[in-house]
Amino acid sequence: MILLQVIAAGLLLGAVYALFSSGLALIWGMMNFINFAHGEFVMAGMYVAFLAVVWLKAGPAGFTLAAACGLFILGVVIYFALIREVLRGPMLAQILSTFGLALFLRYAAFFIFSPNFVTLPQTALTGTVDLDGIYLSVPQLVAGAVALILTLALHLLLSRTQLGSRLLAVAEDREAAMLMGIRPDRMQALAWGLSAASAGIAGALIALSFPFSPEVGGSFVIIAFVVVALGGFGSVPGAMIAGLIIGLIESLSAYWFGPVYKDVVVYGLFVALLWLRPQGLLGTQ
Amino acid sequence: MLLEAKEVSRAFGSFLAVDGASLEIEEGEIVGLIGPNGAGKSTFFNCIAGDLAPTAGRILFAGHDVTERSAEAHARLGIGRTFQVPATFTDMTVLENVMVGAFLRHPERAAARARALEILKRTGLSGVAFQRARGLGTPGRKRLEIARVLATGPRLMLLDEALAGLTPAELQGAIALVRAIHEEGVTLVVVEHIMEVILGLARRVIVFNEGRIIAEGPPQRVVGEPAVIEAYLGRAHLGRRKA
Amino acid sequence: MRWRPFALAAALLVYPLLFRGAFYQDMGALVLIQATSASAWNIVGGYAGQVSVGHAVFFGAGAYLPVLFYELWQLPLFVGVPAGIAVSLAFAFIIGLPTFRLRGHYFSMATIAVAELVRLIVSNSGFLGGAIGLMGPARPRGWWDLVFRSAVPYYYIFLAVLGLVLLATWQMERSRFGYYLRAIRADERAAKSLGVPVSRYKLYAFMLSAAFTAAAGSLYIIKTGFIDPESGFGILVSVQMIIIAALGGAGTLLGPLLGAILLVPLQTATNTWFGGGATGLTYIFYGGIIMLIARFEPGGLIELWRLRIAPLLLRRRGDAHAP
Repeated sequence: MILLQVIAAGLLLGAVYALFSSGLALIWGMMNFINFAHGEFVMAGMYVAFLAVVWLKAGPAGFTLAAACGLFILGVVIYFALIREVLRGPMLAQILSTFGLALFLRYAAFFIFSPNFVTLPQTALTGTVDLDGIYLSVPQLVAGAVALILTLALHLLLSRTQLGSRLLAVAEDREAAMLMGIRPDRMQALAWGLSAASAGIAGALIALSFPFSPEVGGSFVIIAFVVVALGGFGSVPGAMIAGLIIGLIESLSAYWFGPVYKDVVVYGLFVALLWLRPQGLLGTQ
Repeated sequence: MLLEAKEVSRAFGSFLAVDGASLEIEEGEIVGLIGPNGAGKSTFFNCIAGDLAPTAGRILFAGHDVTERSAEAHARLGIGRTFQVPATFTDMTVLENVMVGAFLRHPERAAARARALEILKRTGLSGVAFQRARGLGTPGRKRLEIARVLATGPRLMLLDEALAGLTPAELQGAIALVRAIHEEGVTLVVVEHIMEVILGLARRVIVFNEGRIIAEGPPQRVVGEPAVIEAYLGRAHLGRRKA
Repeated sequence: MRWRPFALAAALLVYPLLFRGAFYQDMGALVLIQATSASAWNIVGGYAGQVSVGHAVFFGAGAYLPVLFYELWQLPLFVGVPAGIAVSLAFAFIIGLPTFRLRGHYFSMATIAVAELVRLIVSNSGFLGGAIGLMGPARPRGWWDLVFRSAVPYYYIFLAVLGLVLLATWQMERSRFGYYLRAIRADERAAKSLGVPVSRYKLYAFMLSAAFTAAAGSLYIIKTGFIDPESGFGILVSVQMIIIAALGGAGTLLGPLLGAILLVPLQTATNTWFGGGATGLTYIFYGGIIMLIARFEPGGLIELWRLRIAPLLLRRRGDAHAP
């Protein structure tokens, strides 16, 4: 029974991983660009949620929305201020840019909020649900469900709507997209906004049930790397399935080997993946 | 036989860019590769250059099967290529660019440098030898690409629209350079849009359309063939309707 | 132009004789160690353009192995140095072989993941001192323990190692290897078409860089006699190498040394102004600098000088001479 509970908790957390990793996959797929600050976007989402609760007494829906909006704006601003120029530059500049951004955001949070862990004040979402002997906390259940729905929504947005096909057209061929009257700059800025918002929402959802500090971004970014590597780079559905798998693996390894080793197992998996299936488990060559 | 392609195909997902193309090139020839945009000639070209592996068929070069060999192995065997969009090493000087090519046959720096300087003289780039490649215009970059490949000592040179985008005067200079390279015994395959260039250079042209070779022979005869006219005019017609 | 490196070398040689205070001599030794690790990073990150964000793994291996050998068998610290280099070479091979066949950012992602993986394992391994770390000999048993009261002997040992790394880099720069690396950084596909064995050369550069970084880590442990997971394998160790090399000029011989000479004293100063690393202001500042370099001049200060400032000065001088 306890194993089932571990599995359920892992899948619920995995859904949140899937959400923020989809954001990373979107940027990778569109711009062939890896955002090293993606974990810091998740962390920023947590603190935006925290401020919304403290200042505005926002409820769970309110602070999640605040994190989404806040991070969307941050993503767009970063695109125009930094990424747009860097995309045309050498690879050194591409990697340095978001690496520097990660450092900047992490220590800005460190400076403003201190390095200590904080927890969101008690919200309306409390208690546990008894599903035939499996006890799941309501915040985790809600977080998992919301994350899953939003990841699916992102996938549908990209694959079923006109906006999605415009985004993908820019990814496919910038020049051709411009001839079709699409403005690549706007589309790429939008992608950055969406990507950052997905991270921000994921941050708010994780903050529902876990304490956090400015340094949590460091492990989230690597988790996102593992997820997109497993799911095949640039694929949102791949990231969704891979996110669930990683959440599950993390949860099981914490249960079997102790919580300290959950990251060790996941990072080790990444290295193994590089050797065995560099195109990702779900990706094609 | 210097180069032989047997039933070469290349697919991207479900799209068949090259569909069973076969071709033989003798040492000392200049062959033109033409066809409308998206006809598959660039893909075929990249297969010969070793940049793309064919999904079916075989490619032989001077008796070696090079189908699965890497791009760098192609260069070592003596197949050199230029790029449609010039891919010069922008932060390096013109001389250094050419030295990278020369190092293939001359591992020592002094020898590579001497070789590179000699090639710069032959290609008329001596004047800009110590400038960064970044500062060159399109004609200069195209010329630099040719010089760089020449420095690797190729037996077969593949020119991918190396003469496109030049003014008439520059074009005459570039054609003269290509002729001079040919006279030194280098075999050439030239992908080109401009008919004038092909007619002036090649003694044999190969026409691609929709992934297949649809005509082959002396340029004057080939341009008169109905299939070729249709391939080009059909496109032109379509283009006019769109506009 | 030719005299500049010699002037720099002379200045470095006489520095501890001119600045006799312990504070300045310690800072000098720190500059050299940081210059060494940044110069090592520069081989793969600068020349070959393959940006490692996990070089701490080599620095940490170079620092841990000597002190581990001391812990286990009471060997002098320098005995473990080759072992640190060997372990680093093995790590470089494990990361480099699969990722260099792939393009782009894969390598950078792998380096950060491996560095974090190793940091976590070391932090949780009692054998390696866990989160507390390991300590070298507290008091010297003989000259071979290389424990000195003054920073000056360390300074000259470090200077010799830095000289070695820069000499190797200089040789590399002038040989086929160096040209090939720069070609790879500029355009991999074009480099391949000219017969450059791209994956192999990237791996060579990475392994050479790893070995030198391990040497820098060994220097660190020899001087401080103490190492913990954060100061060996922490992400900030990698950050330090990257920012120093990128600030001075990634892909130039003396860029990393210049970066270290500017940044290390500045860091000491900011730590005093901003009340130590505890507030995080220093790293906000670092992050900002890294972004500015990436956004405006990825070539760092040396390129800034060569491309923008020097031509300006020349033009002005030219104007003055014009009739």
